[in-house]
Amino acid sequence: MAVIAEPDRSAIRRRRRREVAFRVSTLVTLALVVGPAAWILLGVVLRALPHWRWSVLVTPTQGAAGGLSNAILGTLALMAGVLVVAGTLGILAGVFLAELAPVTGRRWSVTGILRSATDVLAGVPSITLGFVGYLALVLALHWGYSLLPAILVLSVMVVPYIAKSTESALRQVPTSYREGAEALGMRQGYALRKVVLRSAIPGVATGLLIALAISSGETAPLLYTAGFTNTLPKVALIHHPVAYLTYPVWTFYDYPTPAAHYLAYDAALVLLVLVLVLLVAARLIVARTQRHADR
Amino acid sequence: MSAGPEGVSTERGITTPVVGAVDPILDAIDPDRGRPPHVMETRDLTLGFGAKAILSGVTAPFARGTITALIGPTGSGKTTFLRTLNRMNDKVRGFRREGSVLLDGESIWSTEQDLFTLRRRVGMLFQRPNPFPMSIRDNVVAGVRAHRIAKGKQLDVVAEQRLLEVGLWDAVKDRLGDSPFQLSGGQQQLLCLARALAIGPEVLLLDEPTSALDPVSTEFVEHLLLQMTPALSMVVVTHNLGQARRISHQTMFLYDGNLVEHGPTAQVFEHPVHTHTERYVTGRMG
Repeated sequence: MAVIAEPDRSAIRRRRRREVAFRVSTLVTLALVVGPAAWILLGVVLRALPHWRWSVLVTPTQGAAGGLSNAILGTLALMAGVLVVAGTLGILAGVFLAELAPVTGRRWSVTGILRSATDVLAGVPSITLGFVGYLALVLALHWGYSLLPAILVLSVMVVPYIAKSTESALRQVPTSYREGAEALGMRQGYALRKVVLRSAIPGVATGLLIALAISSGETAPLLYTAGFTNTLPKVALIHHPVAYLTYPVWTFYDYPTPAAHYLAYDAALVLLVLVLVLLVAARLIVARTQRHADR
Repeated sequence: MSAGPEGVSTERGITTPVVGAVDPILDAIDPDRGRPPHVMETRDLTLGFGAKAILSGVTAPFARGTITALIGPTGSGKTTFLRTLNRMNDKVRGFRREGSVLLDGESIWSTEQDLFTLRRRVGMLFQRPNPFPMSIRDNVVAGVRAHRIAKGKQLDVVAEQRLLEVGLWDAVKDRLGDSPFQLSGGQQQLLCLARALAIGPEVLLLDEPTSALDPVSTEFVEHLLLQMTPALSMVVVTHNLGQARRISHQTMFLYDGNLVEHGPTAQVFEHPVHTHTERYVTGRMG
């Protein structure tokens, strides 16, 4: 004869309360994240839109007025450079860490050193990197304020992000893909390129996206390395300063003229739109490459 | 990792007549003429991971053109044994082996053997279907591409041929560019079989190939496997004793790290020599 215990009403109520408290706390944290983002977004849009002129996109800066075409082109050039330099280095480093690095328990292995190096690099303040770039590249190598030192410093900054996200994306690739490729007699590098990396693309793309967003939004290291100029970027890696979008935001906001303020907000708006376009593009690329994915 | 005695054999020259090869004309056109009668063979094979022993002293010949079923309780070393035959265990940490595995009389670990050629000759089908994240067509020809067996338009021909061979063509011919993950489990496994067959293996290792499939797909796959003999030799790990009886010519019973019994399937099931075998095949041990 089974005895069914009387349900403990207070225990049930306690459990229910805990459940509600958990849900509320997740909602609060969500609001804490979304709130500031929406506030910044709205703040920029509302201040930039009322006096928005499309000519901003095609006229270069004149003093603290004019347009932003020089800065837009400069930022695009910087991003392209970072994509090439840091993208290559970061993805290869990530592939090495996830696939090729010897698994040893020793702390002073190549893997251990590389991994700590990326961690340390990710923790170095960007202004420090900028200053190092200024001393080593701009001054010591006599490159002057120019595109190449800026790209190199930004790349050093973002390589850890790309490497980390590539590594973790590769680690999440199902073993069955690797085994299947191995059993078909594919060589490791071939399997990596044709099978494994394919399903790691979303993670790799996220890393690249963060890297590009950072390099378009950084100011401190660029003040030290890129300089600023009112003219459009020259097709030259060194000896010619480059304009970039965060400079007007940072500098013109302190100027007394309204024209300078407008330009600062315009630059912020253009940056936001740029990052948004980047996000959408990344999504589209990922969707295109993952159309055969397992989900 | 100790390699042990490799025992490079010179059996290549020996022509032992296979069943029915008494006819001199048939014998002369037999493509396997001059090859050892055993497509693969293990000699005193002892396997382990670290300090843990998995199998000891397994000596087993696999006759060309037959299906051998590997049965035994969980943990008896069936899968480890199977994965050793195409060297899938080589890179597993702590894996150690003694004794040798011969493919056509040559050690699979000999320096003359290229790992990638070995994997082309000894293919594998896994327990769970594992199509790659690429289109159905690209899946079938993935290995063909890797080994540069065909290219361009030829790939379409290969894909069609292999899909026809596994009976999947009609189901997928209008969606060759689609994701393989839209297919049912059974169809995915057939796709993987087509992929494995496309590179023309001589031996196919199957690790519980139907344990994730429904009975209808299972029957279909079994039928297919039987049809592929004697052009292809197969070693099948299975927990399904009925399947072992239905499709295999030879049965190996592994128990507690040892090869307990190895013989013609009917004999192993009807008149087992060892008590362990008898208890296992009659369902008194499982």
